[in-house]
Amino acid sequence: MTHIFKAELLKLRRRRFLVGVIAGAVAFAALSALTVFESATASGEPDAARGASIESLSQAGGATEAFSLGASFVGILVLVLFIANFAGEFTQGTFRTLLMRQPRRASLLGGKMAALLTFVAAVMLFAEILTVAASAALAPSQNISTASWLSIDGLGQAAGDYATSMLGIAAWASLGMALAIFVRSIPIGLGIGVFWSGPFEHLIVDAWSTASQWFPGLLLEALAAGGTADVSVARALTVVGIYVVVAVTAAALVFVRRDVTA
Amino acid sequence: MTHAIDPGVDHLEGQAAHGPPAVSLRGLTKRYGARVAVDDLTIDVPAGVVAGFVGPNGAGKTTTMAMLLGLVTPSAGCGTILGQPLADPAAFLGRVGALIEGPAFYPGLSGAQNLTVLATAAGHDPGQVPGLLELVGLGDRGDDRFRGYSFGMKQRLGIAGALLGDPRLLILDEPINGLDPAGVREMRGLIGRLAGGERTVLVSSHVLAELEQVSDWLIVIDGGRLVFQGPAAQMLGGGSAKLTIAPEHLGDLGRLRDVLVTAGHDSDIADERLSVTINGADPRALAAAVNRAAGTSGIVLAELSVSRTSLEDRYLSMVTEGGDR
Repeated sequence: MTHIFKAELLKLRRRRFLVGVIAGAVAFAALSALTVFESATASGEPDAARGASIESLSQAGGATEAFSLGASFVGILVLVLFIANFAGEFTQGTFRTLLMRQPRRASLLGGKMAALLTFVAAVMLFAEILTVAASAALAPSQNISTASWLSIDGLGQAAGDYATSMLGIAAWASLGMALAIFVRSIPIGLGIGVFWSGPFEHLIVDAWSTASQWFPGLLLEALAAGGTADVSVARALTVVGIYVVVAVTAAALVFVRRDVTA
Repeated sequence: MTHAIDPGVDHLEGQAAHGPPAVSLRGLTKRYGARVAVDDLTIDVPAGVVAGFVGPNGAGKTTTMAMLLGLVTPSAGCGTILGQPLADPAAFLGRVGALIEGPAFYPGLSGAQNLTVLATAAGHDPGQVPGLLELVGLGDRGDDRFRGYSFGMKQRLGIAGALLGDPRLLILDEPINGLDPAGVREMRGLIGRLAGGERTVLVSSHVLAELEQVSDWLIVIDGGRLVFQGPAAQMLGGGSAKLTIAPEHLGDLGRLRDVLVTAGHDSDIADERLSVTINGADPRALAAAVNRAAGTSGIVLAELSVSRTSLEDRYLSMVTEGGDR
């Protein structure tokens, strides 16, 4: 598993790819911070549309409010990337090539997943730091005090926001990986994944509000939002956790047992 | 009809045979629903040979190789690879290199990066990558992206990937397929260079002519079933060799036949020629004896030649028989 972990990271260490990732992280930080700070309201409480207020941005967690907002949109991107990455290994035949070098299939899957999640975690940490910097740069324009951002409480909030975003990202990644293993096709995987978590779940929840307590995409949205009126963070974590365990176990079993013919 | 000989290294006269077979399969079978892709295949590949694995398209060659590599699970049968059980690929794949179903690499990575990823994944030393690229003639193209390679270059990179870790068994699935004539010659030369010493090479093709120059052991399958296995020379020997004789004057044909029969050589007349079957005799000595007998009888020969059934003819007759099953 360690060998596969290292090999997967080698694939990500391409200069052009890394430049793209850094540019993406910079854009993410700038857009998130601009959106939150430019739309910050003067009233004491954030508005219902997850906007921030001057007061909330001045508090300990203000430094990473922009990051939390931005991270809530990253989930679907992670789903798409993981589907493309894992299904691409099938369509390119590279899983076959790797399996001839690492026949322990569960180790191959685990090592690859661990490497990709490690990379995403590093990128998100980088993005969070950039977002905090962008927020600090924008704060004076709104007369927002940043005094409490670097307090113990502020750093704790930042760590909590990062952990929450990574939990959601890991779940999206796991579901994307599982879907890719099942269908072994990038277009089919993306079609199912994007349609399900995008329009389908939202259409269903419009007609049946209880869906928000059961559908994975809606639960992950609730988790990213820090809980909603219908779904607590604990419920979102529990149900999503069950989905992830079932999906990953099923995908691993399929991957281990299925003949590799392409 | 199976032309298989008893498996074993005893038949490999003149070849390096090193102990137990590199590959030994017993009753290997793969079914996909009602379709049987590989049917009760029992084969042995002696260590140290270049074994040509030949059969028409759809004969089951790739499926068999995929089972050897742990990619496909057999429906029945067992075997050993380099002395380790077929059912435990992790026990032998570290000493096996393979190129199956075409070279599959990451298109956005260079050839060298692809090999480095593979070496790392297998726990091999990535330091061997430049040498392998040189070996397959990609030394100056190693930094180019894989997606920009020609088909021949991709095949050669696939072979370089298979050579990572200096494998004892090299399994190459149709490495010559799709190459231009120059590429075919180059690939044949490369396969020849890769063989020898302790390494066994199992290489498949649906065209025997592509392999007969480099193979010293042949396995022929058709419809998933074994048709022949043994030394290439034995496959050729299984076909008939004949001495074809024509007198200068057609009127001497009958008299020449009598002379040959008297000398103990049964002969047949066809197409204004006599043919004498060579039953294990030295063709050169037999030709000399025939020539001497004819000359003693005052018959001048206009033609005296040894003709063999070609390996390709023999192969085609085998797979045709198989197809008739």
